[in-house]
Amino acid sequence: MCIAWGQALFTTALAGAVLAFLLEARGVSLVADNLLLLQPTAIATLVLWLVILAGCLRPRAVRTADAEAVEAEVAAESPRDLARVLLLVLAFGACIAGLEPLGYDVSFWLFVLAALALGGERNPVALALFPPIFTALLIWGFRALVPYPFPTSLL
Amino acid sequence: MIDLPAAAAAIGLLSGSIHAWLWVVPGLLIGLLFGALPGISVTMALALVLPASLYMDFLPAIIFLTSVYTGAGFGGSIPAVLINIPGTSAAVATTFDGYPMARSGRHNEALGLALVASCIGVLGSYIVLFLTVEPMADIVLRIGPFEMAAIGIWGMVLLGSIGGGSLAKGLFASGLGLLFGMVGMNTAGYMRGDMGIPWLLDGVPTIPAMVGLLAASQLFGLINSRFIVDKAEDRRISIRRILAGGAEALRHPVVLLRGSIIGVVIGAVPGIGASVANLVSYAETRRTAPDRESFGKGNPKGVVASESANSSSEGGSMATMLALGIPGGGATAILLAAFAMHNVVGGPRFMEESRDLVYAIILSNFAQALILLPVGIGFVLVASSVVRLPMRYLIPSVLVLSTMGAFAVEGSIAGPLTLYVFGVLGWLMARFGFPVAAVVVGLLLGRLIETELLRAWQLSGGELARLLDYPWAIGIIVLMLVTLGVSAWKEARRRPA
Repeated sequence: MCIAWGQALFTTALAGAVLAFLLEARGVSLVADNLLLLQPTAIATLVLWLVILAGCLRPRAVRTADAEAVEAEVAAESPRDLARVLLLVLAFGACIAGLEPLGYDVSFWLFVLAALALGGERNPVALALFPPIFTALLIWGFRALVPYPFPTSLL
Repeated sequence: MIDLPAAAAAIGLLSGSIHAWLWVVPGLLIGLLFGALPGISVTMALALVLPASLYMDFLPAIIFLTSVYTGAGFGGSIPAVLINIPGTSAAVATTFDGYPMARSGRHNEALGLALVASCIGVLGSYIVLFLTVEPMADIVLRIGPFEMAAIGIWGMVLLGSIGGGSLAKGLFASGLGLLFGMVGMNTAGYMRGDMGIPWLLDGVPTIPAMVGLLAASQLFGLINSRFIVDKAEDRRISIRRILAGGAEALRHPVVLLRGSIIGVVIGAVPGIGASVANLVSYAETRRTAPDRESFGKGNPKGVVASESANSSSEGGSMATMLALGIPGGGATAILLAAFAMHNVVGGPRFMEESRDLVYAIILSNFAQALILLPVGIGFVLVASSVVRLPMRYLIPSVLVLSTMGAFAVEGSIAGPLTLYVFGVLGWLMARFGFPVAAVVVGLLLGRLIETELLRAWQLSGGELARLLDYPWAIGIIVLMLVTLGVSAWKEARRRPA
């Protein structure tokens, strides 16, 4: 038995969220106006979770071609490549979290700088000039286009 | 069906007014630019230029606004092909094959395909409108909630059943998307899944979620690549190859015709429009194609199917607007506002009393579709330079631009937050082999399907037998079940014993 743990855990987490949504919706009301589409969709999704899970848990000899392909692709990625992706995801998350406290301008500037460095840019002139110039153009452009105000610290 | 004296008067109106034509190219360029900016919808583009049209006469104003509409229809496909971000929700299906074409160095051909399919779609839809503007209105009035719900479910299940490597994963992703689409308060007033977050009461913000799922998720994974297109020789921008792509679109007349018909019919139904038409056309083309396995991997027919349908839906929604005075979506609502600004009320009386103006609007759109071709090629030549940008510059630039786009849609931090959450979810789903596009489709259609089902349920008084009174809806559902059964059977046959 060889289990595709990553897929199994991810799908189970999603199924857990679906179940929580169904239970919460049933807690609101049991009338058809509330559950007409939601309940059958959630139940069908949970049944499909079982089907996918069965595909992940089968012995290697009978695992589906799809599950095999996914495992092979994930295995082909080096830990260094994966770490870079995760760092980018974290940097972008920090940028979004910093939009209101730091201002859209500073948050974008820092994120663009971090992403450039993560992507392998080592030219100090490019690192010094591109993030602030790009951010300034973006902020001024959207300020002219968008009717809503957004917080900035420097611009 | 054609009122010849009115058509002749329309030609006279157009040929006698240079002002009407002066605004076509600027309108197309504005539409192309706004359509290509993620987060700036056709509706927003029209809303931004609407005040400018106040100072024009009625006909030039409407021609200017419909030029923006036509330009934005194609503009949305440019980022869809080049960076996997549908500029508008109508270009979602264009990403399915357009982006894989770009990744394999065929971005010139993909953009040429999209441009010619768009031009033909617009042209075809206005020809249909020119011939059938009155009977179309009658058909639209006969489409009720049963049929609309069936169309929505059809588009969603078809895509769920054919996306990705596994039927179960495709349907699971569709179901998940549908559930995301039902978060918040439904039309009956029940609040579900909002987790106490006030902005979720209106549902998950669709455009930021869509951009997160399709674009941010891809961009995260591309940090280890140097360019969108690996080979340097494939990164060249070539007008010859764009034209070759355009010529290839003409080699798929059935796909073009089917896409145009689907676009006109679905576009004419108020509340559905181009965002569903492109998905249904794509799903139908893939379902009936002998080479269906190559869809999603860069099949040109996928781009043609999507673009012909989303462009032709413009003509369909104009039919509803002109004949009934009902806006099919946000863009036609703005056009109706432009009518009102010039003291003109759209609808049956306008059709009856000002048929020459109706024909003039339709005929000017023929011209717009033809002018879009050279203007679009010029725009594409400039826009395609994105493939020459190193990924280390492109990734942060596009992520930040998308974040501002998400903010522009919602006007609050809700947009950027949604973009991020769905970006991470999309990256994980793609990593584990789930078709992310199926979630997007479910998300787009979830609210619509639920609303129409609720209406149908209330109309029937909860009696399922009343469904028998709606043969078209039953036909669509039967077709859907047969398709699903065939997909399941084919997958079962593919599996090793």
